[in-house]
Amino acid sequence: MNRQWIPRIAGILAVVLLFIFPFIYGRADYDFIMHLWITAFFFAILASSWSLLAGYAGQFSFAHMAFMAIGAYTAALYGNYIRILSAPTNLCTEYQIGGRWLVILNPVGVTSSAKDCLEIAKESLPVGTIISQPSIWWGVLGGVLMGGIFGLLVGYLVLRLRSTYLALFTIGFAEILRAAISAEIAITQGQAGLELLPLFPRGLTLFGNTYSSTDKLMPYYAMLFLFLLCMAIMLRLTGTRFGLFIRALREDEEAAAALGVNVVRYKVMVFTITAMMAAAAGAIFGHYIGIITPNILLILQMSLVIAMAVIGGLESIVASAIGAIIILFMLELLRNSFDIGPVRVDMTLWRLVFFGAVLMLTLRFRRNGLIAPILDWFNRAGVAEETVAKRQAAPTEGSD
Amino acid sequence: MTELRVNNITKNFGGLQVLHNVSFEVNGPELIGLIGPNGAGKTTLTNILDGALNPTSGTVYLNGRRIDAMPPYEVAKAGLGRTFQVTRAFRRMTVLENLYVPALALHPAARQRDFEGKAMDVLEFLTIDHLRNEYGRALSGGQQKLLELGRLLMLDPDIIILDEPFAGVHPKLMEIIYKYIYKVNEDGKAVIIISHDMDTIFTLSKRLLVLNYGDLIADGDPEIVKNDPTVIEAYLGVDEDDDSYDDEEDDDE
Repeated sequence: MNRQWIPRIAGILAVVLLFIFPFIYGRADYDFIMHLWITAFFFAILASSWSLLAGYAGQFSFAHMAFMAIGAYTAALYGNYIRILSAPTNLCTEYQIGGRWLVILNPVGVTSSAKDCLEIAKESLPVGTIISQPSIWWGVLGGVLMGGIFGLLVGYLVLRLRSTYLALFTIGFAEILRAAISAEIAITQGQAGLELLPLFPRGLTLFGNTYSSTDKLMPYYAMLFLFLLCMAIMLRLTGTRFGLFIRALREDEEAAAALGVNVVRYKVMVFTITAMMAAAAGAIFGHYIGIITPNILLILQMSLVIAMAVIGGLESIVASAIGAIIILFMLELLRNSFDIGPVRVDMTLWRLVFFGAVLMLTLRFRRNGLIAPILDWFNRAGVAEETVAKRQAAPTEGSD
Repeated sequence: MTELRVNNITKNFGGLQVLHNVSFEVNGPELIGLIGPNGAGKTTLTNILDGALNPTSGTVYLNGRRIDAMPPYEVAKAGLGRTFQVTRAFRRMTVLENLYVPALALHPAARQRDFEGKAMDVLEFLTIDHLRNEYGRALSGGQQKLLELGRLLMLDPDIIILDEPFAGVHPKLMEIIYKYIYKVNEDGKAVIIISHDMDTIFTLSKRLLVLNYGDLIADGDPEIVKNDPTVIEAYLGVDEDDDSYDDEEDDDE
């Protein structure tokens, strides 16, 4: 069998295993392991989409977690402030859509004991008025779109910025966003965070089995589906002119432009696409966790995503995703403290030291990560042999 | 027929005037040499022609279309291709991928496999077909120069500007570049060669442009230009074999 097929077959097997995992894993720590997988998929989306942005297109942005937060906060704001009523409140901002009213609640903050407009209006609403929260999936969609809009905006703003300046600009953007979210307590509830409903607030019945809203199964499949969707989109894109052109602009923007590549278009496109993916991950993960706070925007969180992509292999989407999953599990496994004689090694602290050391060693000795070279070994099977064979044949062919 | 009209191009960088009312035309598949001492404005002129820089004043028309306000990618599609003084192969892309970039940029509806045949022909012509799946970084400096030339063949422009195509190239590869220049010229493309290598310039060029500190001081038959007193004073008067020439010129500045 051709060596190049091995990663593909392994990939298919891995996907099949991930699909059946919740049904074949029956140990007592089921919930914990499922939680780890959901978190791993979340970080795998972030690391692989950041790899498309930084590894393929060369846009070393620190704003990726900001786009993720934009998705999560949009979904949270939508869930907290939008309601559908069968009668008007005559107090809130509201729009009639058919026979219903889309009502926007007024923010009242965290500490205020004031009621929002709907709470006040409830006292005078006609008996039998139906108050419902619209489907959370519209909020998720809104989050993805909002992420795309901000990605587009940042993409345009950083057109002329490279390397250090791009990094500093995007750090600035993320910090401004964090400060704004923290400051706008009335709307975002600041550090207290905004609560989000579970992905399936009423639970779900599938094939005769009923799953409660807190069951890990549905978020697992939702995040797995999003992860596979993002991977499929990115792998498809990298195989097209889009992938070729963004790599060309990473290599040399001026040379790419001189060869006919519309650098502006592809730079903005890659920012927009990756921002939408990060936002989608944020919105889904926010609904899974149930709360979103500005701390998700701390530079440490972004550093974690970067480290995952770098250790996996920055120039490979698949390697970055695998790197994210391995590191996420590794960080959890390393929580287990142990004793060396009388000395207790507290791994809750030392695991980060270990993680930092792995990152430093990778950057020093394996600049293309730990996973990407393995994939390259399979994918580029026979290339060196072909070059040598052709080179050896060349003098004979070329001689007079 | 290829027609490039450069009209009164002036370029200032702050208070420094790098080009001053430069005008010339290219009509048909000419083979033109562009020479001048360091700091003469050759690369600035090239950057203006390919859209990387906007002129302070003046206009450039290619085949009747004004291109001086176009971005580089549109200029490339309009029919002007260039190489760079320092080789700019895409080092972390394979040789074939390097060739697909201009081909796909030029043909929005096409796919990579549509150009496999053409790309292989180009690589065979440049004698680097055995490296097709290697990354650009695996190529020697000379081979990367050839790769840059190959990309231009895929772009298929009407006019080609080669910035120092022979710098640091092994004599064997120089032969291939010579062959390349004659081939694209025979195919009907105009070629402008920027070089400090006077032997190759006088061997290849049928017309010579001389820039000196932003002024186009000569434009004509190489043999006539060679004996022009202004050109001799500005550039050619120095012994061609004297390697320290450029440094001396810089010192004079």
